[in-house]
Amino acid sequence: MTASLIGFAAVLVLVLMRMPIAFAMGLVGMIGYMAENSFRGSISMVSRLIIDASQDYGLSVVPLFVLMGLFVNKGGIARELYQVSNAFLGHFRGGLAMATIMACGGFAAISGSSLATAATMAKVAMPEMRRFGYSDRLSTASIAAGGTLGILIPPSVILVIYGLLTETSIGKLFIAGVVPGFMGILFYLVAVRWSVWRNPEAGPAGERATWAERLNAIKGVWAVLLLFFLVIGGLYGALNFWPIYLRFSPTEAAGMGAAGAFLIALARGGLTFSGTFEVLKETSLTTASLFSVLIGAWIFSNFVNLAGLPEALRGAVTAYDVPPWAVMAMILGIYIILGCVFESLSMLLLTVPIFFPLVTSLGYDPVWFGIIVVVVTEISLITPPVGLNVFVLKGVVGNVTTGTIFRGVTPFWVVDIIRLALLLGIPALALYLPSQM
Amino acid sequence: MGVASVVLFFLMGMTFFDVLLRSAMNAPIEAAPELTRMSVAVVVFTSLPVLSAQGQHITVDLLDPLFARFRIDRLWNALVSLGCGAMLWWPANRVVDLAERSRSYGDLTEFLQIPTFYISWLIAIMTFITMVVLILRGLVMLFAPRFMESAR
Repeated sequence: MTASLIGFAAVLVLVLMRMPIAFAMGLVGMIGYMAENSFRGSISMVSRLIIDASQDYGLSVVPLFVLMGLFVNKGGIARELYQVSNAFLGHFRGGLAMATIMACGGFAAISGSSLATAATMAKVAMPEMRRFGYSDRLSTASIAAGGTLGILIPPSVILVIYGLLTETSIGKLFIAGVVPGFMGILFYLVAVRWSVWRNPEAGPAGERATWAERLNAIKGVWAVLLLFFLVIGGLYGALNFWPIYLRFSPTEAAGMGAAGAFLIALARGGLTFSGTFEVLKETSLTTASLFSVLIGAWIFSNFVNLAGLPEALRGAVTAYDVPPWAVMAMILGIYIILGCVFESLSMLLLTVPIFFPLVTSLGYDPVWFGIIVVVVTEISLITPPVGLNVFVLKGVVGNVTTGTIFRGVTPFWVVDIIRLALLLGIPALALYLPSQM
Repeated sequence: MGVASVVLFFLMGMTFFDVLLRSAMNAPIEAAPELTRMSVAVVVFTSLPVLSAQGQHITVDLLDPLFARFRIDRLWNALVSLGCGAMLWWPANRVVDLAERSRSYGDLTEFLQIPTFYISWLIAIMTFITMVVLILRGLVMLFAPRFMESAR
């Protein structure tokens, strides 16, 4: 128990001292394992892990989903999604902010990163909302909040990493993320309505688009949306009927998604040879960095397990007779606090090896816990005083104070907390769909 | 990077056709799973030295301003790079041992009968290269910082 706590503290210090997370976790895990076992045993464990992890079939889902996201992004999908949402919602009061949320949701479906979603949408949506006289408070808040949808709506890289770390089915995690993800969009739309109800000048209505304009806008995105439904539908088994019989494993779904996105980009003529090479190169580098952190986290979690931390924590919980919900509340509190400092991936890597065994031994569902962790991480991204999405946004937009953004984000934060409470209270919201697979 | 890109593209195409052939003609590519496993290892480990050379590992940059204020950011980053490189020495050596062991056992993959030590050796070599790259990067940062700037 003491050994693992020292180890955990050491990782935190090293990571804050700018050591790459993969190396910090790997080094501490290696030394800790050495202290508990032997030098030889520790090095063997690490090397075996490096060889096996890099040839794990399940891990092939990582490069393929990253590739899909980058190919889709290459076609400038963010702008087109925004145009479509705008054509349908722009004439409502606060319509452009609602369109931002919808476009973020759509973009999130393909990209797996919150910070990237916020940064991309800021460039697309911010000028438009300014043009129509939206208040900075509402426009930045809708982007910051909408960006957090990126890590829940499948396919999500964060859920993949959680699944791989905990050996939880990635397919089930993705499907479990669907309902909470759509709830997120819906709740944010309510938050926008609430903001303009309180302050009608914040989001004046735009012009109503004609049906011709709407159909024209759809032309740009239908293929990508179809691809999304194909990938998720195939994963869920919803396409398993005559005459296609499509049913995918996560790796296959990712491969189909990547190939489909490649073909779409090719068909629209926006893809050059060097552009393709650029995408492939970026994907390879991202894959290598994700595999490094995964291997590091596994080494660390092997040490933590050998040192008996999960049993010790469980023992403490039973000894003091703490009810499971109180443990869960404490864990969620820790996430919100850590979220002030770490971005979502680092946070997940650092905490899951410690909390996951405890949570499952208390009888919670691993898929459900994955969704909860991601939702809490999302919330921490827009929680004052240091929600990271807000700072990324400030970096992209420039002349807005973080105070303004945080004030605007408050209603979004409140509906997020309501959503979290609902998911905690009614696990079926996340678990019903995967139970039908 | 060229190798990684080509292999990644191949992986994408193979998965695509595997699914198509399986659902349309009930004729999956039997070797697909083992080729997938090998491709992933190649993509990851041929990219690793480049990733390390560019210093693109995932880090937490919360305290960067602090290091910059005391003007020790360059020195510190160099030391971190040296340390990260040095710690790879032991696992890299051990991966060589494991690769040699699987060669002496004659381990083969299931369908294509490819010796598994090819991939293990690749992993070992690339880990060594990554180690050298990280150490060189640290040394260059320490002794020839101008070179780093011009490289960028």
